[in-house]
Amino acid sequence: MYWVLIKASLFRKKIRTFLTIASISIAFLLFGLLNSMSAIFTGSMQGMSADIIMVMPKYNMFGTQPYTNVEYVRSLEGVEKVTHMTMMTSDPLGSMFDGMIFATDGNLFDVYTRFQATEEHREAMLQRPDGVLVGRLLADQKGFKIGDKVRTKASFKHEDGTFNWEFEVVGFYTVKNLKGDELGVMANYKYIDDSRMTMKGTTGYIIAEVLSPELADSISNKIDKNFENSDRATRSGPENQLAMEMVGDFGDIELIMNLILSAVFFTILLVTGNTMSQAVRERTADLAVLKSIGYGDFQLFVSVMLEAFIIIFSGLILGLGITLLMIPLIVAASQDMLADALYLTSSAFISAFLIGVLVSFVSSFMPARQALKLKVVDALAKG
Amino acid sequence: MSDSLVKVDSVNKTYQRGGEKLVVLDNLNLEVPKGDFLALMGPSGSGKSTLLNLIGGLDTPTSGSVEVDGENLDKMNSKQLSNWRASHVGFIFQFYNLLPVLTAQKNVELPLLLTKLSGSQRKSHVDTVLEIVGLADRAGHKPNELSGGQQQRVAIARALVSDPDILVCDEPTGDLDRDTATEILELLQILNKDHDKTILMVTHDPMAADSAKRTLHLDKGKLTH
Repeated sequence: MYWVLIKASLFRKKIRTFLTIASISIAFLLFGLLNSMSAIFTGSMQGMSADIIMVMPKYNMFGTQPYTNVEYVRSLEGVEKVTHMTMMTSDPLGSMFDGMIFATDGNLFDVYTRFQATEEHREAMLQRPDGVLVGRLLADQKGFKIGDKVRTKASFKHEDGTFNWEFEVVGFYTVKNLKGDELGVMANYKYIDDSRMTMKGTTGYIIAEVLSPELADSISNKIDKNFENSDRATRSGPENQLAMEMVGDFGDIELIMNLILSAVFFTILLVTGNTMSQAVRERTADLAVLKSIGYGDFQLFVSVMLEAFIIIFSGLILGLGITLLMIPLIVAASQDMLADALYLTSSAFISAFLIGVLVSFVSSFMPARQALKLKVVDALAKG
Repeated sequence: MSDSLVKVDSVNKTYQRGGEKLVVLDNLNLEVPKGDFLALMGPSGSGKSTLLNLIGGLDTPTSGSVEVDGENLDKMNSKQLSNWRASHVGFIFQFYNLLPVLTAQKNVELPLLLTKLSGSQRKSHVDTVLEIVGLADRAGHKPNELSGGQQQRVAIARALVSDPDILVCDEPTGDLDRDTATEILELLQILNKDHDKTILMVTHDPMAADSAKRTLHLDKGKLTH
């Protein structure tokens, strides 16, 4: 029974129904895309471990800290393994690639396990001071192969007085998640530190694996406390939490996203509410006739509510469906950089469902009540 | 009349318009026997549509009682009245009031969706009434593909499909040309004579009233003759 009534209503003004569903689907598409990208902003990306803490210079995330900090962190109780990473950027104008050179110790792959390389390639890098492992994505893009020379104009001054650096490709590395990290080059820290003219004996990030995630906060606090009020002050924390804080340095991204989403859903509410009110107003005579032939007030109330649910959920399914189709396209367009960073979580689907239920209910309640309260005699008298 | 289908007893209906009390029906009494075809005439505002609405269970009197087939309508609540209307009364309106996106068949089927009949039983009922109103071959057409007369026949079929005791018609020919109106009135006569339907019809048209078995006139809320 309800389906006949709902169908009769939905198809009465097909274009309006289509446009309403289309606008709702666009809103849910925006919701889906923002949610799928939220991991990038909020640091909840897969593969970021809670038992890995990062220690970085407090006042400049691209700055340096003394190498002795590595030894300090290693000495702390609860810290299992420690490695570090110095980031040297390439000048795109004078380089064979535009990306990061990560200067590391050989044990990086043991501590920071989302970075992976074969034993053979790791050994080859250790054997050759200027040997580098190239990220698989970068190697695929630039066509680097073992034995190739990688020349770059980097941010560190070479001891020869230039900014020119030359390395030899001895292998490749992959990254389990966040494929964008494969757009770099892994080099020997010792070689770079020995060969640079300035900032010798410093490093960028210290990466430590702690015995359990529960220890991460206390150890981080201890490190920061130790260096506070000094020129080597640090900012430490679990990797995912720190990533979120770093994004927060640029602005409250989550708040901005929530504001956009609120605006989107307020718009849906208005669009649907207006459509439903208009539809019920136009169908006053139909509703009166239905009541006269025996349809009850509550049955028509439910019918109007269900109509809104169908409109909203059609838009929801369409919007999220398009999102799911678009994600692989966006990943492909990013040349796989966003391969593991762009996804819709089950909580996004649950949120969408709850928003759908809420908006359907709120937008249709008043029109449905209008149908419920409609007096047949008055409606028929108005024609 | 002991076998009255409709008994309207001392009915008053008043409306409050601003500070003014408007008397629409004034201590009205009426009995309609089973099988009657009664035309109600009168000037606009005389209360004939209001009377029809009370008998059809669409409205309740301010005082007095309306009884149809032994059931006292003024004692029923909104839900009971809906259920009662679904099985006891069929409405025919001046402007047909068909749902535009549904075919004739689906429009006629609407009252049956409230019953427990199966799909095939509903179809059989619908086919029967469309046959009676002479529209069996137009079952798949939507209202905008039908003429005014045909649309009114669909509306009559919709009113008939649940086999009600009484048909309540509010200006059923008011929107039709003379020839089509004659056809509709003939159809109502057939329903009255051959199918034993009691018909109450409000009309301004003396020709329409002539097709009824008897005519009553209302003026200022009272039956005049």
